[in-house]
Amino acid sequence: MASSISDNHFELSIEVPFPSQREVSIALQSLSPDREPRAGGTIKTLSASANALSVKWNAVEARSLRVSVGSFLDHLALVMETMDAFGQPALQ
Amino acid sequence: MTVVIGFEGSANKIGIGIVRDGEVLSNPRRTYITPPGQGFLPRETAKHHRGVILTVLREALDEAGLKPADIDCVAYTKGPGMGAPLLTVALVARTVAQLWGKPLVGVNHCIGHIEMGRLITGANNPTVLYVSGGNTQVIAYSERRYRIFGETIDIAVGNCLDRFARVIKISNDPSPGYNIEQMAKKGKQYIELPYTVKGMDVSFSGILSYIEDMAHKMLNSGQCTAEDLCFSLQETLFSMLVEITERAMAHCESQEVLIVGGVGCNLRLQEMMGVMCEERGARLFATDERFCIDNGAMIAQAGWEMFRVGQVTQLSDSWITQRYRTDEVEVTWRD
Repeated sequence: MASSISDNHFELSIEVPFPSQREVSIALQSLSPDREPRAGGTIKTLSASANALSVKWNAVEARSLRVSVGSFLDHLALVMETMDAFGQPALQ
Repeated sequence: MTVVIGFEGSANKIGIGIVRDGEVLSNPRRTYITPPGQGFLPRETAKHHRGVILTVLREALDEAGLKPADIDCVAYTKGPGMGAPLLTVALVARTVAQLWGKPLVGVNHCIGHIEMGRLITGANNPTVLYVSGGNTQVIAYSERRYRIFGETIDIAVGNCLDRFARVIKISNDPSPGYNIEQMAKKGKQYIELPYTVKGMDVSFSGILSYIEDMAHKMLNSGQCTAEDLCFSLQETLFSMLVEITERAMAHCESQEVLIVGGVGCNLRLQEMMGVMCEERGARLFATDERFCIDNGAMIAQAGWEMFRVGQVTQLSDSWITQRYRTDEVEVTWRD
């Protein structure tokens, strides 16, 4: 995780490891479709590597950054729980 | 055979249903119930859905006796509705669609109600009255669209009832509307309220303000009972709905009415609509709370129709939307 602050600008990057490329790809596609609310001035960028999901935020307000990160982590946890609970049968 | 699983969570109900060629195999549901005097807010509602959604999904599969491999398509509510609850449900739908390798179909919630009503009642080409906590529309089908003939110009009829229930602290369990309906049966006098039909449209916010303003005064002075207010409010609101439905039928020369949406399971509304239909020699179709109130099977059924004509939603296009009008959808599955 990395974060930096300059004048009126906040950045945060996180990497979320997954067991395989398949899980990374599923998480990326489940979490990508919805846009950030425009009013917040926060930009979130998702990308995938071989076994990790990378998320990067650019924000003008700390408050909207915190809201965005908080809800993203909630959504990520839900996607991971769903994979744990319903992932196995598809691999048959 | 085509098996579709449907995910619904646009308001305070979370439901997952499985439909196989017109047969509902399972349809479990949970409702987020708030204390008397309180409505449901997006954040808390999403939290409720998130807490139970995987359990409800397990129930849907178990009750249907199916494995994920038996499912052909995953349908979910794309909108309209509250953003946070919609997104919670869409996330799970997207994830299982990928895990199971099944196509995804985004469904308009209103279309879900209409298609479920048509399936359950067998109504062929009805004038539809769609009444719920978030929507009030009179709809008729023409040339591949469900066209909105009349609608509320402010709040939904169910929202008016729910908020009235909050004013006089009626329980939200199982739903405010159900409790108002039961109390209304004991009402003895009709209190005159504003009647606000505007052409083909209706307005409820003024009626709500009026009753909010006078309810406590009249109750405290003993001029009327809470039961009288429930009775009077229902009679007024439902008369307005029957009036615009009848006008739409006259325009379309329709001989069928289908009532859908959560308020549609109100038996007094069905009775009043029934009287109007009888006078016109028309037929009334309605369903009970299992299918009127938001549920997963209705999304599965609309998804089934869409999937059968080859419509699927790419993951990148599977964003949810709080605003999504009934007439935005091209109805590709009807002539």
